[in-house]
Amino acid sequence: MIKKIGKFMIGFRFAIILFIVIAIYSIIGTVIPQGATKEFYLHNYENFGNIILLLEFNKVYSSFIYRALLFLFLVNITGCTIKLLPSQLARMKEDYFPAPSKNIENIWDEKYDTEEFRKVLEKKGFKTYKGENGFRAAKNRIGVLGSSVTHLGIIIIILGSFLGNMFAYEGFVNLLPGESTTFVKQGFTLRLDDFYLGFREDGSTEQYYSELKIIEEGKEVESKKIWVNNPLKYKGINFYQSSYGWISDLTIKDKEGNILEETRLKNSQHYFYQPKHLTVYLYGYYPDFAIDHSGQPVTITEQKNHPHYAVVLYEYGNYVDSFITAPGEPIYYEDLEISFDDSRLYTGLTYRRDFGYYFVLIGCLVMVMGLFLSFYFYPRFVIVEEGTILPITKQNIWGYTMQLKNLLSSTLSNRGEV
Amino acid sequence: MMDIVYFEELFFTLAFIIYIIASLGFFVFLVSSKEKVGKFSVIASSIGFAIHTIAMILRIIESGRLPFSNQFEFANSFTWAIVLCYLVIHHKYKFTAVGGFVMPLAFLMMGYASMLPKTIKPLMPALQSRWLTIHVGTAIISYGSFAVAAGLSLMYLINERNKDKEKKSSHLPDAEVCDYLSYRVIAFGYLMLTLVIITGAIWAKKAWARYWGWDPKETWSLITWIIYSTYLHLRFNRGWKGKTAAWFSIIGFLCVIFTFIGVNVLLPGLHSYR
Ligand code: HEM
Repeated sequence: MIKKIGKFMIGFRFAIILFIVIAIYSIIGTVIPQGATKEFYLHNYENFGNIILLLEFNKVYSSFIYRALLFLFLVNITGCTIKLLPSQLARMKEDYFPAPSKNIENIWDEKYDTEEFRKVLEKKGFKTYKGENGFRAAKNRIGVLGSSVTHLGIIIIILGSFLGNMFAYEGFVNLLPGESTTFVKQGFTLRLDDFYLGFREDGSTEQYYSELKIIEEGKEVESKKIWVNNPLKYKGINFYQSSYGWISDLTIKDKEGNILEETRLKNSQHYFYQPKHLTVYLYGYYPDFAIDHSGQPVTITEQKNHPHYAVVLYEYGNYVDSFITAPGEPIYYEDLEISFDDSRLYTGLTYRRDFGYYFVLIGCLVMVMGLFLSFYFYPRFVIVEEGTILPITKQNIWGYTMQLKNLLSSTLSNRGEV
Repeated sequence: MMDIVYFEELFFTLAFIIYIIASLGFFVFLVSSKEKVGKFSVIASSIGFAIHTIAMILRIIESGRLPFSNQFEFANSFTWAIVLCYLVIHHKYKFTAVGGFVMPLAFLMMGYASMLPKTIKPLMPALQSRWLTIHVGTAIISYGSFAVAAGLSLMYLINERNKDKEKKSSHLPDAEVCDYLSYRVIAFGYLMLTLVIITGAIWAKKAWARYWGWDPKETWSLITWIIYSTYLHLRFNRGWKGKTAAWFSIIGFLCVIFTFIGVNVLLPGLHSYR
């Protein structure tokens, strides 16, 4: 019984089942929104919501089920490859020559000269073996390993990404020019010297640039300007340009102009002013302010052509009013003057160290080599005797037969010329 | 600059019209078996392809980069690759009838392209990578091959039906040949698709810090890849041939189309920079 299950687990039928189940499960993940709250599914999908949560359709790719499927797949493909390997290695040996199956087309014709054919085959890289009344030829024996090499590549990719994700070190940091962040374990500090956007003639954004410095024991050891698609790498950690935003100064004054409060807000952040139970919400900073057709504030470019702030006030949590103001232009509320000014760009950097990536790359290389072996360097055999020419191959009998026919007719034209 | 845009559109439209004529020609050829009509259609396809190529080159000159960056450009390149793959197959195997099943796909895809906004926009930051070129370049070749394979499979199915009717049309290549040829073309497209996914992963690693993120486009390319993996395995190990294989090839191509158009329209992903 257990033996039977084991056999099934590394068997071909199970591989096909896994292919299909993994494909279907992956499709579900693209149809149902991923990573939302429990309430979202219960609310939007009614009774089906519970099924979604039970089968983890809300986080397909990180679910236990998906991992289990991948694990089974790994067991299957590994077992299957190991099972096949001995017979493949045997088929690579010189003394192996497959017997022709019954329905092979005999492409012999008496107009062909077999000796000439042998020469042409040898020129094409075939090895020929003398037989009793004719000869045999073989080429690309190594190709029999194609499928195993492909499978090995896949095993490396899956294992590499698994282990890589397990040991990956990653995070995200927002920095203003001049600010820095320290990686204690790795013993270095990352400083942002400058962050700016590159613009095209029409005002659209062309690129995002962060000028970074690495400081180790007080000394600057590396400096690089990074942009999207061009990360900085240090001690195995890659730093990526991944987002940006505006940060603005909020000032609250009283009637006499005394500063009561000064703070910095990013877009969509709020500040709670305790004495008045007042919440100042910075809906957004728009460097090139405009109102779109649906009445929403938007920015046309990221250049400070026409800067404005959209601000909303709440008192005791209740909506009071909303405003559009220019930099420094105060909003008067009771006896307060509220103003925003001095908006600056900050950068958003993702960092990640993931050795798994290199395994995945190696796996990809191995897989592609395997595919080449399978599709274009498959083993080819031919038996040539008086009255028979039998092409033998497992992979592409039609193409190979055609190839041999062409070779045979080339021997005719050779003869014709002489 | 104005002139180049004008000529690009002119050549695009001209190529489109010639593809339609070629498709109609192939249809007449299939129905009437007139050799001359078939020859004419092949020549028309070649001329259409040459003009299409000029339109593409003009666009490349105009934008200063390869036409691989928005849906119009991709659909346009896809069409180009379908015709390219068809012509390569034609010159290798000389089966005129194949055109009757492939050129309509090309002209449909070009029709889709013609409905999309054609404006040349500069590349957004995440797309400014040489991996984009390799990634999309292999993608259109891969998709083009799958289109040709699907055309061959369709041809096989029609051939099979005619077999019973005793009036097996002489100008269709043997059913067996269609079957094998579509398998070989799929193998090539599959190899290309593998490269598409790999180069995409390398590019994503550079642009977004992760090589795989289960974005709908990524996921659907994987699904397509799994479908063709299944096809190849069943074919190779279970000797799947004929009808089942042909249907599988057609389903695979529908999946390609969904990955290409459906995902963009129905499943918005992260392919933008914020
Ligand atoms: C996504 C994963 C896989 C890929 C990309 C893959 C790829 C390949 C390729 C390209 C071939 C050569 C087929 C041909 O030339 O038409 C092959 C053969 C084969 N594969 Fe896979 N494979 C995968 C998974 C599996 C699994 C899980 C099994 C487990 C049973 C399996 C079993 C086989 C077998 C038995 C062969 C035939 C080998 C021979 O007789 O030479 N494959 N595979």
